[in-house]
Amino acid sequence: MAFAGRSGTAVQIAFLDREAERIGLRKGQGVAEARAICPSLDVLPADPAADRALLEALADWCDRYTPLVALDGDDGLHLDITGCTHLHGGERALLDGVLSSLFTLGIEARGAISSSVGLSWATAHFGDGGVIDPDAALETLAPLPVAALRLPEDVVGPLGRVGLKTVGDLFPLPRAPLARRFGPLPLLRLDQALGLEDEPVSPRLPVPMLSAERRLFDTIHSEDDILALTAHLAGTLKEGLERRGEGGRLFALLLFRVDGRVFRIHAATSTPLRDPHRIALVFRERLAAVHDDLDAGYGFEIVRLCVLRSEVFETVQEGFSAGADGNRSLSAFAERVVARFGPESLLAVTLPESHVPERAAHLVSVLDLWEGERDAATERRAASTPPGDRHPGDRPLRLFAPPEPVETVAGVPEDAPKTFRWRRSFHRITRTEGPERIAAEWWIDGEDHPSRDYFRVEDDAGRRYWLFREGIYADDAALPRWFIHGVFA
Amino acid sequence: MATPALAREQLFALRETIARIENADGPGLVPRKQRWQWDAPQSQPQSPSPSQPPGDDPSAHRAGETDGLDTVFEGGLPDRGLVEIRNPQTRDMGAASGFSLALAAMRQEQEGTGATLWIGQALALSEAGTPYAPGLRKHGLDPARFLLARPRTVQDALWIAETALGVSAFSAVILEIRGNPDCFGLTESRRLQLRARANGTLLLLLRQAGVEEASSALSRLRVDPAPAGERPLPDGSMLPDSLGNPAFLVTPEKSKIADPLGILLEWNPDDRRFRRLEPRLESHPVAPRPEQRTQEPLPLVSLSSHRPGGASALGAVVAFEGTP
Repeated sequence: MAFAGRSGTAVQIAFLDREAERIGLRKGQGVAEARAICPSLDVLPADPAADRALLEALADWCDRYTPLVALDGDDGLHLDITGCTHLHGGERALLDGVLSSLFTLGIEARGAISSSVGLSWATAHFGDGGVIDPDAALETLAPLPVAALRLPEDVVGPLGRVGLKTVGDLFPLPRAPLARRFGPLPLLRLDQALGLEDEPVSPRLPVPMLSAERRLFDTIHSEDDILALTAHLAGTLKEGLERRGEGGRLFALLLFRVDGRVFRIHAATSTPLRDPHRIALVFRERLAAVHDDLDAGYGFEIVRLCVLRSEVFETVQEGFSAGADGNRSLSAFAERVVARFGPESLLAVTLPESHVPERAAHLVSVLDLWEGERDAATERRAASTPPGDRHPGDRPLRLFAPPEPVETVAGVPEDAPKTFRWRRSFHRITRTEGPERIAAEWWIDGEDHPSRDYFRVEDDAGRRYWLFREGIYADDAALPRWFIHGVFA
Repeated sequence: MATPALAREQLFALRETIARIENADGPGLVPRKQRWQWDAPQSQPQSPSPSQPPGDDPSAHRAGETDGLDTVFEGGLPDRGLVEIRNPQTRDMGAASGFSLALAAMRQEQEGTGATLWIGQALALSEAGTPYAPGLRKHGLDPARFLLARPRTVQDALWIAETALGVSAFSAVILEIRGNPDCFGLTESRRLQLRARANGTLLLLLRQAGVEEASSALSRLRVDPAPAGERPLPDGSMLPDSLGNPAFLVTPEKSKIADPLGILLEWNPDDRRFRRLEPRLESHPVAPRPEQRTQEPLPLVSLSSHRPGGASALGAVVAFEGTP
């Protein structure tokens, strides 16, 4: 079996299995040629996106060993296991565990553990793998081909032409001429492989500040079990948060399913949180919201709770009276609603400085607003509640966005309308206040944007509406249009 | 058809029991002390304890400013529980929302702290407009303590309402429902009513373009728009043809006291209190208008145009000979 991919205009074999390799096919061969060699060859189109998704899923799966997992190209993973090995019974046991678990998942993998990324990569790809002693780096690396140094094809080729086939050939050579002739890359990679040059592994996910996990002997299925465990883990995290004097703002719950799938559920809170029950409460809503997507299958074997973001936690003295917790219960309510329906479901009002009515009030998510208020508590508060009234005229209670067009009849063109028709119903106007002219904001709308004349009208049944005429009657301009922008009480 | 006397007696007893259960917290039966006084917010500082409202003191009532709601509900609306406010037409929603927000503003002033939560389905908000913060301030409500929840479905809205009734942070919750959805029936309203009463929160059910429906609300009011008053001038006179404080025509539909004509209330956003207006017959929306009779009657909704005409009546009109 082989997978064909398109490289330029040619259709070539991108990946092939062991059986195909045994026949004598190789990567990069044309599909037609391969078919000629073996007519029974099963050629499937390669799907890089699916490969990538599988690798990402595997990276998620590897989260169980260390939080520092990085993708390496299209077919590899780097795990930074510094300080994690003792949890899994040593390096050898860890490697065996990873490879055998992957084997049971149906994935053939090779792995190596060493003191540098380059060395591990080289031995995993070209050597025998296994755990490499830091002292044995030189002799392990020496017999491997130069390509093991993660060098591109156009560097390996010239090196091979001058007879530098293995990494060991590079050791005795003077560095300066080598760098002059082949560029800095071979030496850099060599130093990185030997651990002389530092090479950080950039993890694909932010590393949590704190995390607590529970490995389960028997898998769990139900939401109640997950929540109970979450509360328990949150209790474990509480100590760490207290030591830092912080509370978590963004939590992640990782559920490792038995068959290797990993679910990652994030939950944001409105205030820094430590209380295990409230954390569990937030996740209860999150689980209810993602209910259909969370397929427990054969159950979850590892549950981990991480704190991704935290903030300073202001310790509050518990009062004796029950009435003082208004703000706290409000934030708890906001958390539950936002966790269940998303951040756009609960909105608060900000009042930006603007003359244009639809810009004078802005609805933002409550969590964003409160976060901003905490950042700049004093000035924001002062800005959002000016002492006096900014608008001299009356403003409607409910605003239509966008304004709805109406047909009007007026005695004189410039005058307020006498009747208007809105949503196919007819209104006869009895009283009018206006006009209130509101010019467009030229710094946003442009200089030739028409101004609006607002009228406050009351019809014969006592309904009060806010109508406006966009533009003015002029000889050269198009006829102005009338809109209804809001309703008054 | 005569019912046996014993059975009838039992029936009456049962009816009485049901009435007692249903009206245990209904308007008019609870002593005045436990009710929220609508007409004396300005004397609030004298009595900080909410359990002893200032309305107990007869001197707190100022003559000439008797609150309209007070008389209708015999001591004001309850300060907790479910109150339904409805209007059959979407275009009249300005009045109904204005009345609900006025109640919320009074409640907020009375509580001192506490936010107002408006739960509105996306459809309802787009049909009748989104609450507008500068207008809320003009209406007497603090926009900084106003939250808007925008759920997608009625079930989500009910969930949010129920959650909001579980916390003490809200002084009033407004739940806006469009029409009469099947999933919001007697059971659900009963549930909300019990929650609201237990938590001490006022839950206003704002029914947009809905018809009367049996519910567990303490009372149901139909709020129609009414011509506003005129703006007062500094010399005490009124500015003619001006639009002053908003007025509402409130008709109790479910209440101890039936008032089919309704009462006219004017809301003063600065004092945050209602004032009863004397209904002027010529401007009463319900009253027939002689001058309009002469005009050509206008349909509520214009006739459809550019469409095929309706089916013609069956048969033909035949002129019979008149019998002498």
